[in-house]
Order: sequence, then structure tokens, then C-alpha cells
Amino acid sequence: MANLSVKGVTIVETFAEAFPMVGTRIIITAPTLEWALISARTMTGFATSVIACGAEAGIERTLSTDETLDGRPGVAVLLFTMDANKLQTQLRNRVGQCVLTSPGSACFAGLTGEKSLKLGSSLRFFGDGWQVSKRVGGRRFWRIPVMDGEFVCEEKTGLTKKAVGGGNLLVLGKSHAAVLAACERAVRAIDEVPEVITPFPGGIVRSGSKVGSKYKGQIASTNDAYCPTLKAAVKTELPLDVEAVMEIVIDGLTKESVAAAMRAGLHAIAEGGAEAGITHITAGNYGGNLGPHHFHLKDLV
Amino acid sequence: MSALLFELKGKPDQRLDLSPLVPSKLKDLKAKEVEALVVGTTRDKLTVGDCFKVKGKDAESIGFAGTDGRCDKIGAGLKQGEIVVEGDAGAYLGAGMKGGKIEVKGNAGVLAGASMAGGAIAISGDTGERAGGILVGETLGMRGGLLTIGGNAGPLLGERMRRGLVIVNGDAGDYLGGRMIAGTILVRHRVGRFAGYGLRRGSLILLEEPKELLPTFGDCGVMDFTYLRLLEHWLRETGRAISLGCRARRLMGDQAALGKGEMLIIA
Repeated sequence: MANLSVKGVTIVETFAEAFPMVGTRIIITAPTLEWALISARTMTGFATSVIACGAEAGIERTLSTDETLDGRPGVAVLLFTMDANKLQTQLRNRVGQCVLTSPGSACFAGLTGEKSLKLGSSLRFFGDGWQVSKRVGGRRFWRIPVMDGEFVCEEKTGLTKKAVGGGNLLVLGKSHAAVLAACERAVRAIDEVPEVITPFPGGIVRSGSKVGSKYKGQIASTNDAYCPTLKAAVKTELPLDVEAVMEIVIDGLTKESVAAAMRAGLHAIAEGGAEAGITHITAGNYGGNLGPHHFHLKDLV
Repeated sequence: MSALLFELKGKPDQRLDLSPLVPSKLKDLKAKEVEALVVGTTRDKLTVGDCFKVKGKDAESIGFAGTDGRCDKIGAGLKQGEIVVEGDAGAYLGAGMKGGKIEVKGNAGVLAGASMAGGAIAISGDTGERAGGILVGETLGMRGGLLTIGGNAGPLLGERMRRGLVIVNGDAGDYLGGRMIAGTILVRHRVGRFAGYGLRRGSLILLEEPKELLPTFGDCGVMDFTYLRLLEHWLRETGRAISLGCRARRLMGDQAALGKGEMLIIA
């Protein structure tokens, strides 16, 4: 394989294998940006992977007062699952427990999709008969009485079936600190790309997994080929001088946005060059047979 | 194509029924056929040609000029297209309309936008009683759409209204939103007596405190409403800058009816 190189960092000729997902966007507003962020972070907490969290979610970006429907500061949140029913359940539970409960919040549709998901139309029942429906400019909103006034929530939000989950970059480096710093740069760069989120803690995963395990009932287990402590024991993918590997996982509303995020991330990682301690950038795949979306790293350079 | 323009030639000696002059009924007619349409309301037969000078061709965009308060049912039952009235309109302006746009540069008579289900009516001047209200034989008043009144509205504005938005830039008469089922009425200046009489649901948003309140409205005090911000934002985006802020006093009523309606008096 003729690997490419960017500033001395080897770009392995491979591809990230990603999967179709269903996704939605909602807008959360609050009296201050801080409270909109608190609500959004709570709603997107414990949403790193569909495997055990039920959904993957994150903050797409913040919105200024002239970008929101009610003229208050806001946050755009993206939520992804593998099918529309699960997305509906996750949306209802997360907005119901984390946004409805958050002081001064309001919740609006962030997507006009081909299909829609219930938002206020299921949460309105919290109003116990005192909820009020209001149409403003062709959109329907529910006003639900709560202890700090009213929770205003749009009736529906859009749904897209063209979302893509699992775009990824694996970063190999000579020190833990170097890899962490490079990944932090990449996450910051990806933050600027619209329509994507990095659902893991701070956008970074240190425990990449492989499918299956030696133990019965364990569906995924540690990716031993990339564990630096096992270099001598397994068929490793790591050169001897690699001390740490971290992964950035990207979910997006379209495959184009995931590709744009991977491109931005890749260049941010390689920015410091080999001198900064980064040796390789590679990507995770399952041989190409499981996921229909293949993002080849050579196309992103 | 230029707009189809009907210019009133004189003052007819009877009220006119102009409901045939809407795009859906005119689009396939030749000029001669249009002029032969009957618009009179008495035994003395009166046609479009007798009363109006007709110019232009585009039946999707209709104009009236020189009309007065005896020109009834302009745009009644309108489904699509646009009607501009350079003058006054009589009774039943846009009554029962489902879509399209009507603009009146003068005043409108009684029952303007009564039982309308969609579309938009903008009246620069005043309206008579029961604007956005209920037509005889109907069970509901206005069921959707937008009715904007530049001047003052008569009594029983939005009577038995079910959905939609009415904006009054001037004053509103007695029994504002009488027997209203739901929907929204915004009044920028004074309102008459018995506002919200029989109100079941729906919102009366008042920028001035009414002189007299029905005793069947209960006070919830003053607080912030995100809904008002939402409404203000939409009004500004659609070119109607009305400052609402977010604070209002909420009165719930009419407790003699269902009682789930509200008066939001901007604080």
C-alpha cells in the first residue's frame, strides 16, 4: 500500500465504514445561553453510542438571539438512532426529562424533514388538560403550564433517514498527551462543521471496540489490535513506538457533512506534523461488508 | 398580464352581490361573459357591465376601484388569487374564504372575514360588527387564516371563532371574542365592554387594559410568556412590528363558560 503523508504524518490507505441512521434536530432556547447549554448537555448526556445508550446525541452549535424563534439564546441539538421508532422514544424521553424540566426552556423543531416526529404533541399531556395549542405562522406550538410559567414546545420536528453514523478517525501517536492534544484540535475543527456531532466524551473515544468477544453474550470487546499494551501478544496494527490511540466518531445528518467533518478533523490532527508526536491517521472498518458508506482517507487529504 | 380591474361607474340604486367576481369563477370566462354576470340583489336585473368598467385580463389578480359600502360579498368564498379593493367594501367581505389574499384600502362592512377558513384579509380602515365572526347557518366563526384591521373593529369581533389570528390596530367594540372557541385576537388600543363574553378557549391579547372587565374572569397575575416572544418575532418577520415584550397579566375565563380562555394584558 502506498500510504500518503501529510506533514510527516502517515495517512493509512484505508476507509471509515459508516452506517445509515435516522436523525433529527431540535432547538432549545432559554433565558440565557448558559441555561440553554445546561438543558442541551443534560439532554445529550449518556448518548455516546446506540449500543447501550439508545441514541447518539450532541450539541451541533449555539444560536444567537436573532436565529431563534423566540428571540432568546439557543442551542441546536442533533439526535440519532438506528430506526424511527427508537428515535421517537428517545426524543420524547430526553426532551421530557431534560428540557421540559430545565428552568425557562422552550423547544422548537430544527429540521423540516420528509417525515416528522412528535415533540409537543406527546409532551402536551403533561399539561393535564391545561395545555394550550397555538398556531403561529403555520407552525403549531403547545404551551404547557409548569411551575416557572409555561413550557413552549413545537408540535413536531423533522426526521431524516439520510443520516450517517460512525464516521471515524483513529489517531496514533508517540505519547498520550500528543494524541489527546491532536484529537482536541480535531474536535474543535469539527465543531465548526454544520450538521455533525461527535457524541463521545469531549468528542473522543479511547476504547475502540471490535465485534464479538471470547465471552458469551458480550457483543463487543476491546479492539486489541490497537491496544499498545498488547503489541507482543496479538496481531497488532501498531508500530512499537506508538504509545496511545484515540478515535473520533462522527455522526451527521448527511454523508456529505460527515465527509466534511472527517476532512476538517484529519487536517487538524496533522496540523502539528510528525514533530508533534503523531505518527499515523487511520480509520476503522469491518472489511466494507457491513456499512454502505465508505469514507476513504485518501479522498479527504 | 394585467390585473382584471372592475371600476364602479356610478352609484347603483341597489346593494351589489359581488361574490361571482372571484378568480375560480372568472378564470374561464370571456370578457362578454364576465360583463353579463348578474350582481344585482333586487328584481331589477343588474349585471357587471351595467355597474363596472372592466379592464385587464388576469383573473388571478382582481382589482376593484370606486367601490362603496354597498358592494357586498367581495371575495366571498375565495380559494386562491388576490383581490385589491381601492375603496370601501360592503358586508361579507371575504366571508367563508379558504385561501388567497384580500386587501381593502378603505373600510369594510359587517361580517368581514366571517367564517373564513384560510387566507389573509387586510383592511386599512374600520370594520362593522362581527368581523371574523359567524355567518348565519354556520356553527363556527373564523376557522383559520389572518384578518388584519388597520382601524377600529365593531362589536362581536371574532364571534364564535375557532382558529386563526385577528389583529386590530385601533379599537375593538363590545363583546370582543364573544363565545369564542379558540384562536387569537390581538387589539392594540381600547376594547369595549364585555370582552371575552362566553370565551371557552383562545387568547385575547390586549395592549391596553380594558376599562371594564367581566366578573367571570379570574386573575393569574403578571408573568413572562415565551409565547408572546414567539408571536412578536413572527409579527416582526412578516412586516408587522408590534411590540409585545414578554410580560403580561393573565386573566382566565370566561368562568361562566368553559373558562380555559385567556386575556393577556401586556404589562
